[in-house]
Amino acid sequence: MRKVLGAVTALVFALGVATFIGLPGATAQGGGGTIEADVKYNGAPQVEKLKVNKDTEKCGTEAVIEKVVVGGNKGLANAVVSVPGAKGAGKATKATIDQHGCKFVPHVIAMNPGDLELKNSDDILHNIHTYSTANPSINKAQPKFKKVMTEKLEKPEYVKLTCDVHSWMLGWVAVTPGPAAVTDANGVAKIENVPPGKQTVEVWHETLGKQTKDVEVKAGQTTKVSFEMKK
Amino acid sequence: MPGIRESGGLMKSGGHEMAPRTPPLRIDRARCSIALAATVFALSVLPGVAWGQAGDANAGKAVYERKCLLCHGEKGDGKGPAAELLDPKPRDFTSGIYKIRTTAGKAPSDQDLYRVISDGMPGTSMPSWAVLPEKDRWNVVAYVKAFAADKFKEATKKQELPKDVASSADSIKRGKEMFEAIECNKCHGTEGRADGPSRPELKDEWGHPIKPANLTKRWTFRGGGSRTEIATRLAIGVLGTPMPTFIDSVEKPEDIWHLTNYVLSLGPESPGYATLITVTAVSDAIPDDPDADFWKKMAPQNVGLMGQVIQDPRNFNPSIDMVAVRAAWNDKEIAFHLTWDDPTESKPDAATKVFADAITLQFPPKVESGGERPYFLMGNDSDGVYLLRWEQGKGAMEATASGPTKVTAISGSEASGKAVYKNGQYRVVMKRARAGKDDRTTFQPGVFTPVAFQAWDGGAGETGTRMSLTSWYYLRLEEPQSNRRFVIPPVVALLTLAAMVLVVRVANRRS
Repeated sequence: MRKVLGAVTALVFALGVATFIGLPGATAQGGGGTIEADVKYNGAPQVEKLKVNKDTEKCGTEAVIEKVVVGGNKGLANAVVSVPGAKGAGKATKATIDQHGCKFVPHVIAMNPGDLELKNSDDILHNIHTYSTANPSINKAQPKFKKVMTEKLEKPEYVKLTCDVHSWMLGWVAVTPGPAAVTDANGVAKIENVPPGKQTVEVWHETLGKQTKDVEVKAGQTTKVSFEMKK
Repeated sequence: MPGIRESGGLMKSGGHEMAPRTPPLRIDRARCSIALAATVFALSVLPGVAWGQAGDANAGKAVYERKCLLCHGEKGDGKGPAAELLDPKPRDFTSGIYKIRTTAGKAPSDQDLYRVISDGMPGTSMPSWAVLPEKDRWNVVAYVKAFAADKFKEATKKQELPKDVASSADSIKRGKEMFEAIECNKCHGTEGRADGPSRPELKDEWGHPIKPANLTKRWTFRGGGSRTEIATRLAIGVLGTPMPTFIDSVEKPEDIWHLTNYVLSLGPESPGYATLITVTAVSDAIPDDPDADFWKKMAPQNVGLMGQVIQDPRNFNPSIDMVAVRAAWNDKEIAFHLTWDDPTESKPDAATKVFADAITLQFPPKVESGGERPYFLMGNDSDGVYLLRWEQGKGAMEATASGPTKVTAISGSEASGKAVYKNGQYRVVMKRARAGKDDRTTFQPGVFTPVAFQAWDGGAGETGTRMSLTSWYYLRLEEPQSNRRFVIPPVVALLTLAAMVLVVRVANRRS
């Protein structure tokens, strides 16, 4: 009995300490600024179409591979904007990718190092095949009855995601040390809770590569930064 | 100690006299589990320690440069001078990615590398290097690892497999269910003949096209066709290829073994290649239908085929590696039933470089008693051959040839044939009158008739000299069996018995 009591006390104590240590970080987030990135591309969109000859009831008859998606006002969609220097800032949200209609949804996702949840809502076999160097590569079958799988991506890296069963399926996971966001259809991404001071903003796109810019972030204010991606 | 009481009670209620023996039994069990744990521990530690036989990378370099460099390249990047001709491509050692491993991590154990060097990889250009002294092989292991030293920093750990499930009808049934549930057919095909719908899209991590394994031919499995080897590939996949891991993707862990048992049920252990083709004598009519029971009852005689690499354009990576032959004859006819795997049923289409799938049986026009035969590669100008050919879209036909590019169809062909294509396999029956006119071979019982085979997978771009073939084999028409074999042996047995009885009686009278 005494042992059990001791263990419980120790656990409560440990939890208390953990909460206490955790607190300062949480308050610091509140005092950050916002970065609004505007990513543009002057070139033409790159879209490939492929005829699908299997699983057509789930995948449709045509696969669309969107390599470069350009929206209104030349805004570049699917670009990852991140602040690699602000490690630990921003709230860690659960990263989830769904395999739906034989597509990775969303096509590009940004996450902090940790767990990636992979869903299969297609009711057919997919396989999660990652191409990575920093993280161990993954090639795991996800049959129809395996609705959810969780994989660990613990090192910052842009990881390519494929499915060998449906060769057109392509996704990207941006594992970033700091806060990050993916640009919307107009090429805009907003990152909140960035610690004030000088920060480097990184933009990455699967086809158009990487660019960085330095900005000054002020607490409670929105700092605008724009990028022009080149081929 | 509620456990013992409970088990004692159980024993009693079962009506057995086992209850008093329960405590010693438990001790035995405890001992067993200690021994088991020790074994498991030893097995998991040993590969890294004892089996590792730390090779000398410097000594390995000398061997590597003599034996491995030509394919794997000086820098170990798989780009040796011969690499261009090979399919699958030689391993790129600088990546540290290895297909065949038994480890829980990504890096193979030294033993895994040593095994591939020693045994080679079936179905690829990697031969067995068992001719090299063991020490040399261990040294090569060390040298090959040095190309990606950072991938081999941590000690390797053996992948634990679920508890083995012996093969049974139930296990195979469950394996088939799982095979369908996890959709192995997507790549490997419905019946495992590597004809799945994803086949044409498959690429390895270097972007090279890669073929799924034909599960009915386990002697071609890259990492070996034994139970444990198959279960290991299923559990941890084939690294660098589309084959994923399934250990976490089956319904229950033991499904790995049910699947293994099912895969083992899909084909024979070895091809058991025939050396002589026997043509069975029958008195009834021979059916045209390749799926007739008549043919199913006959055992296949397997013949191995090789790529044609003598005359340009050559075929270094042939698609068809085996033809199963069944044959029968009666007074009037001779018929050949041929079965071979081809992942696609191809009709000619010049735009996509697809040609007709085809197969031929080749014979000398006249069977000489001296054993003289025409040149095996479809004859030559001085000595031609007779061909019995089946072609997709055209059916059976007769032809003569004086070389692989000099084939002439015989007008007024008397050959007939019927073909079935299903789940990555052709089954074809070709029939002809047993007696041949002019350049057509006559088939006589009791005579050893030379025969050779050629096959084309049009979907793989095979046509003309780009074919699979054999050298000369012999065909023998079984002589009709008379009813005397049912009469003479019983008569001999009866006579022997009578003689014995006589001897015993005589002996008894004398005594």
